Formats: sequence, C-alpha cells, structure tokens
Amino acid sequence: MEEKIGVYVCECGPNIAEKVDIERVLAAVSSIEGVAVAERYKLLCSEEGKKFLKENIEKHGLTHLVVAACSPKQHELTFMNVCEEAGLNPYLFQLANIREQCAWIIEDKDEATEKAIRYVRAAISRVRYHIPLEKKEIEANPDVLVIGAGVAGIEASLLLASRARKVYLVERESSIGGKVKGFAQLFPRMESASALLEPKIKQVVENKNIELMTESEVEQLLGFFGNFVVTVRKKGGEERELNVGAVVVATGLQEFDVSGLPQYGYGKVDNVYTAGEFERMNSPDGPTQGKVLLKDGRAPRSVAIIHCVGRQEKGYCSRVCCLYSLKLAQYLKSKIPEVQVCQFYSDLCLPGKPYQRFYEETKGKGVDFIRAEKVEISEGEGGVAVNYSSESGRLEVRNFDMVILATAMEPAHGSAKLAEILNIGRGVEGFFIEEHEKLGPVSTSLEGIYIAGCAQGPKGISESIVQAEAAAGKILASLVPGRKLEPEVKVSEISEAFCIGCKTCISVCAYNAITFDELRRISVVNEVLCRGCGNCAAACPSGAARHRHFTFRQIYHELMETLR
Amino acid sequence: MEATNQSKDVLVVGAGIAGIEASLLLAQAGRKVYLVEKSPSIGGNVIKFEEVFTNLECSTCMIAPKQQETLQAERIELLTLSQVVRVEGGLGDFKVTVKRNARWVDLEACIGCGACFDPCPVSLKNEFEEGLGERKAIYIPCAGALPNVPAIDREHCLRFTGEDKTCQACQEACVFEAIDFDQQDEELEIKVGAIVVATGYDLFDPRRSPQYGYGKVGGVYTAFEFERLFASNGPTGGEILLPNGNPPKSVAIIHCVGRKERGYCSAVCCMYALKFVHYLKSKLPTVEVAQLYTDFCIPGKSAQRFSEKVKGMGGDLIRAEVVEVAKENGNLRVKYNLPSGKAGSLEVDMVILAPAIEPRADAADLAKVFNIAQDDAGFFAEEHPEFSSVATPREGIFIVGCAQGPKNIQGSVAQSEAAVGRIISLLP
Repeated sequence: MEEKIGVYVCECGPNIAEKVDIERVLAAVSSIEGVAVAERYKLLCSEEGKKFLKENIEKHGLTHLVVAACSPKQHELTFMNVCEEAGLNPYLFQLANIREQCAWIIEDKDEATEKAIRYVRAAISRVRYHIPLEKKEIEANPDVLVIGAGVAGIEASLLLASRARKVYLVERESSIGGKVKGFAQLFPRMESASALLEPKIKQVVENKNIELMTESEVEQLLGFFGNFVVTVRKKGGEERELNVGAVVVATGLQEFDVSGLPQYGYGKVDNVYTAGEFERMNSPDGPTQGKVLLKDGRAPRSVAIIHCVGRQEKGYCSRVCCLYSLKLAQYLKSKIPEVQVCQFYSDLCLPGKPYQRFYEETKGKGVDFIRAEKVEISEGEGGVAVNYSSESGRLEVRNFDMVILATAMEPAHGSAKLAEILNIGRGVEGFFIEEHEKLGPVSTSLEGIYIAGCAQGPKGISESIVQAEAAAGKILASLVPGRKLEPEVKVSEISEAFCIGCKTCISVCAYNAITFDELRRISVVNEVLCRGCGNCAAACPSGAARHRHFTFRQIYHELMETLR
Repeated sequence: MEATNQSKDVLVVGAGIAGIEASLLLAQAGRKVYLVEKSPSIGGNVIKFEEVFTNLECSTCMIAPKQQETLQAERIELLTLSQVVRVEGGLGDFKVTVKRNARWVDLEACIGCGACFDPCPVSLKNEFEEGLGERKAIYIPCAGALPNVPAIDREHCLRFTGEDKTCQACQEACVFEAIDFDQQDEELEIKVGAIVVATGYDLFDPRRSPQYGYGKVGGVYTAFEFERLFASNGPTGGEILLPNGNPPKSVAIIHCVGRKERGYCSAVCCMYALKFVHYLKSKLPTVEVAQLYTDFCIPGKSAQRFSEKVKGMGGDLIRAEVVEVAKENGNLRVKYNLPSGKAGSLEVDMVILAPAIEPRADAADLAKVFNIAQDDAGFFAEEHPEFSSVATPREGIFIVGCAQGPKNIQGSVAQSEAAVGRIISLLP
C-alpha cells in the first residue's frame, strides 16, 4: 500500500506560532517522499482540533500521522486516541515536540524554526518504519499463594480469600501464628498477643477459601504474573502443584545468632538470655510456665537489658529492639515489682506517634537507662558483670543477676534459597528487595510477586500488617476475577534466527522477563512481564533482541534526520 | 450486608503521595475515584523536595509520572480547590458534600503557557516557597506543578479584594480564553462506598520554641525552607544562599525541634537531616556542617548504609541538649549542653531546624466532618495501632500517610495500598 504520511503542525495559540515560522516548517517537509499532506492548525488538542485531525486521517486515507506540537507527556495519548477513533493504528503515529524543546526555549526565531524542521523531518523518517502494534489480552488466575503464616501472611490471606479467589497458605512449621504467637504481650499497649492473634488464626482455619498447608515448603515456581505454577512439598514427601496468579512472600524473621560474638558471654556466662529466650520464659506456655527465674531457681533482683546486639555486624537498626526492650522491662516490673531493671543503649529509637509515651510509662515504673558503648558481659561477683564505656568515656562495671540481649532481626533462614526459587532479589542486608524503596514497598521486580512484613525489612507488627494489607491491595487491584490482563504493547522481542544464546539480555533484564529456552538454545521474552525498557535491545551483541517501538531502523532514521 | 445498592466508588481526600497512590490503585481495580484536593495542584509535600532519601533520587522525577497518570486516568475525577464539608451514611453508602472553589481558569482551555502571570499587577510571597519567593495573584505554586493550570487567588486578586473590580489583565493576556470570571463556587454531592483520608501533615512552627531564634534572627531556616533553597525549581534556582546573598560557610542542623512539645519522635527527621548534609556538601564542598542531636533514630534496612555514606562526606555530630540560637557579632551562636552537663557552643552563619511532623492545622475540623477521632497528638485515631492501623472505628473510613501519624514515604505508600486492600476486600 502506498505510504501517505500526514504532517500537522500545531500553532498552540501564539506559543508555537510566534516563535517558530510554521510556514517554513511546512515548506521544508511537504515535498518529502511519502508526505501526502502538511498543514497547520491553531490548537490541535482542542475538541475542534481533534475532530479536524480525525477527519483529515479519514479524508486523505493517511497511513501514518506526525503531529508537531507539545511534549508527548502532555498530548501523546490524546493524539493516539484520535488515531484509534479514525481507524489508524495508534502506533503509526509520532509526536514531534516543537514547543517545550523549540518554541519555549529558543529566543531566536530562525534557530527555533531550524530545530523544529529537523524534529519534524526526524519524526517523518521515523514514523514510516513504525510497526502497527496490537493490544493483547491474557487469561489470569485470581488465586494466590501466600508463603509464611505469621501475622503478615495471615492478614494477607484473610483479605484475599473470597468466593472468587482461593488462597493457598503455605507454612513450613506445624502451627501458624509465627513469632507473635510466642509473645505474651505486645507493645505499646501491653495487650495480650493471643487475644489479638487467636481470633485471626481461627478465621484462617475456618475460612473455606483458604487452604492451609503446614509443614510445607515451596520447591519451584514457574510461569508469570496471572499464571504461576508452584510446586509445594509437604515434609516427608507428598508434592503438589498449584496454579496461582500471584504470590505473597511473608517469611518473616529470625533472631541474630549472638553466639558468634563472644563479648556478650552468651552460652558461657550463666543467666545471659536473648530477647527471644526471655519471651519464652515469660510466656505462660513456656518452659517455666511464665515464671522469670535464674538458673538456680531464684527470681532475679536485677536485670540488665543490652540494646543493639548485632547491629554493627548486621549494618542496620532493627527498628523494634528499643521498643521490645521497654516491653521486656514492663514484663519484669509487673512480675517482680522490686526488680531493678537497667537498659544499656546507644541511641533510643522510638519512631512514630505512640512510642515516646510508652517509653515514659516504662521509665516511670522505675527502669533506668544508661547510655553505653563497648558493652561486654563477663562472670561477675555473684552474678553477671556488664562492662561498658560510659558517656564520659570512662570504663565502668555493674553487676546484675540476669542479662537480656536485645538481638537484631535478620531474614528467616532459607531466604536465600527462596529468593532463587522465586527469582527475586535480596539486598546486601539479606532481606528481599522491593521494586522501589518508596513507591513500590511491597512489590518486587517480578510482577505478581509481593513481599510483606519482616521478609522485606525489619519492622514491627503494625508495619508488617500494613504491608500485608498493601500486598493484598496490589493483588486485588490487578488480578480481578473474570478480568483479563492487558500487557504492555511496546515490548521487546528476540529473533530466533539471530539469537546466539549468550544470555546477555537475561543479565540486563530488570523485570525477569527473559528466560532461556534450553531446547532451542535461545532467549525468549515473556510479553506479560516485559515493560519495554529496552535494556536487552541495547545490550544484545547479535542484534536479535529488539524493542518493537524503538527498532534500530526507527532510531537510526530519526537520528540521521535530526543530525543531517 | 446487602450487596445490591452499595456503591463501590471511593472518595480519596488529599492528593499528596498517599492519596495519589490510593487513587491510582483503586482506578486500576476498576473503581471510580473522586480525589479531593484543597490546593490548586497535586503532589503534596513531596514535590517540595529536590531529592528523597535513601537513594537520593530526584523527587519530582519520582512523582511526576504518578501525577501525570492521575490526571490522565479516566476513572479518577480530580477536584482541586475542594474540601469535604459533610459526610453522611456509612460503608457502601456514604453521601459526601464537597465544596469546590472557583479556579476562574478553565482546566480544559488553559494550556499552561503562563502568559497571564506577567500582566497581573499583584505580587505577593509564595507560600509554596515558604515565603522565600514571590508569585502573582494568578499563579501556579512552582514550575512543574500539576495540573499545569494557574488558579486565581481570591484573597489577593484585585477583582475579589474590591481594589479594582475592573481589572482583567490576565484575561486580556490569555489568547485561549481560559480565564472565566463567571465560574462560581459550587457544592457537589458524591455517593461513595468508602473514604480514604490522606490529608498529610504540617511542620511544627519553630516560633513556638523561641530558643531557636526562628523568625527573630536571620539565617535560621526550617526544613521546608531549606528544601526550597536547594530546589532547582525554587526561588534561588537551587543555590544555597543566606539572606545577604552569600553561600553559608558553616551550618548547624538542629534535630528534634518540637519533639518535646509534641510528645513523640517524628520518625523521619534524622534521615532528612542526613540528606541535608548531603545537599550541603554536594553543593558547597568546603562548608562546615554540624548536626546537633540527642538520639540518632535511623530504623530500617537501608538507613544505616545511607547514614554511613553521608557521614563519610564529613561534618560533625554533636550529642547536645538545651540548644539555643542567638545573634552574636553578626553571626549565629549556637549554645548547647553536652550530655555530661558541660556547656558548648558553635559559631555558624546558617542554622537549619528539623521540626516535628504534626497534624494539619485543620485536622480537628476534618475529624468532625468525617466523625472520626483524633489521638492525643491530634493525628486521626486508628481502629487498632498494631492490628488495624489504616482503619478507623467508623466502618468504611480509612486513614493513611501522615494523617495517621508521622512516617516516611515508604510507610505512607504502603498504608495507601493497605487501605485499598481493605476497601476492595470489604466491597468486592
């Protein structure tokens, strides 16, 4: 079919007309081969302007459209919609920005006009190599796999499960509730943890749309957003294949192992406990039925709580240690009112609205706070010695009956393996990486896989539950039962004939959209996952990978005309 | 719960980053969203910042695509210069009255060329620039503001103050006939199933703590003022300048301004104070910077990495209490007590205060309109601080971002997405 390119220059009122000689632009481009019509119009984005364009496309039987006007950010979509209404594939259109990049920034009218001419010529040269692109629709499975049945996994499952959406909740332990189940009370209101958690656990168990799979682990994940196939193995053998559209990773945390830090005397000096151990000791269903006891069976008369254990080694502040240390002090004070409790800290970190008051309440119960550095624990006279460097730099020693170490939080064991199975990234601190630190806190670089709670980073119950609800929100908004997915149209593709199987594209893809077909020894783009960034096309050494809307020819001809 | 007469549409109040995120996600889910914003443009406080911690990315570049998407989304009806005045009903069936003030500039006809600014005879301090720059009575808050359509300020436009009822300077300058003095304020009735309140925060006014000299001695800036001094689209084009026009040679950053008065830690001040050190050191490599702080609060996985990077750029860290700022020999004298009780002092030519995050000045009025409670600090009160922090006891009304409590962008965005999760789950 004969090429009929229509070129329309927008006056944008005086904005372009006064700064660019539009007649010269039209004269310069109207004789270019393939240009069927070149005209000006006072305001193309107005209702009349859009009607004018639509009628022109139809009247002249245009095969391609070039509009010279404002920034594509402003009106690219506007004119693409006009194309669609006129029956022209909207990707056979190119916008030349002669307002922001010419009229508004160049004082000299000749210079502005010269630049505008180059831009319009470039757009014409480019548009003739455009490929008509079509929107696609893909079936999607609304069901969800949630990995980890702590507070975050439970919350996500409860929000997601409905008659139209099944949730598979996979937990590697034999019971659910995660770390919070082991706590007697929660800061800052010192509420009973089980009073808050047990109803949720009951709801999970009773919910017909949640299939709870305990003592099970994810072994494999194939497929992509909307169509994942997951293999889950139950302890002792039995393997199951699940089809889901999305995954929530809520695998939680573990306590930093303090045995590698000899200065804290853990495992060597009697009556030195980690915070986790002390939680168990304080718990009514724990080993001492909730009695706080020393090794010799007495109640402690003095307890030191050491903050920031492992902080330096881990390289981050775990956010909740100051707060749970206050909670532990309250446990002690309520069980043994005369006990002396002393907190050794470096910086008190109490971010958020309720926590300063919690600190003051705790302090008001007679808890001491000592700012200390270089804390070392050793056998002391009739107890445990806390050696430290005080604020004035002096080395001091104090003796206590018991020492509790407020240990850092780290990602649950097995996170590295799970990251590999799911093909998602982990940061230098070991937690799963979010898609964007601020705008995508629960998304990952792999669409359809979400992270929530301490698997994403150290945090308290409040933020963990918010993230679980957020992950559910992202899934509920994008995987609507009965609705098909519309993947990005402007994506990359890899030519089977040219691909040499070097996998360079796979290494540069930020969205895990390219896989390697072992059978054919070539890389393959998944159109659902590809977001059209073009990294693969730029990196491919053999010219096999190309971006459908930024092909070599398109870019080459656009540049040649700009620079000629 | 009867499913038939329920509305699934949602009202989002406040078009800062939290409100924008909630609106976009709801629109993606197929919900109609009414996004009500008090000011003429969207983007909230985040568009005041040049860079955001911890990766120091350009804030405008981060949020601009989201703003654009919001303006272009078919399912989002943006109501600027608007406020919610009445809320009746409950989950699935709220009847909301919104008062929309006239902009007097047609959103469709205006192309944002700015030809109307110059002819306007009224100049005044631009509140978006914290008073450090000027604007006209017809204005956009800053370059790049969206929607890129000016508004006429009724407090100062001569037509509305009565000083010159015939002034039509802007109208004459507009070739697109976008200025429309016939526009009227109006009240709109909206039916929605749920409401997200994302009204954001104010900064503590340091005038309430006179020891810092703010408002009395020159060279003392708030965090917002300093952000605008550093912003490339700000009043100095991004040059950090003292009132005398020179760049500072020495700067003190004072943490925890208003913390005691407010009774909580605002969770982000240490981090943005570190960001300011980066701002200063990157533009003025020889500048001396001292931070006066009590406790460094930098929670989370990537904060310490950031803090170490900034500390590597130099500058002093002084753990200080009872900080005071006074004018002395033409410079600023910062006096403080060390934890040991010993007194110390510094001479600097610029002081930046890191004030606490506090609820919006009109939070009490809004609480009444929505019939939701405030906590002791004045933030909107959640259903449960740990287990249900985005819901309120009034079913169907959710609170997100700094309207619920001080937090960073990540936490605000997560709360917005969380509220959307709760809403879709409640009103499938």
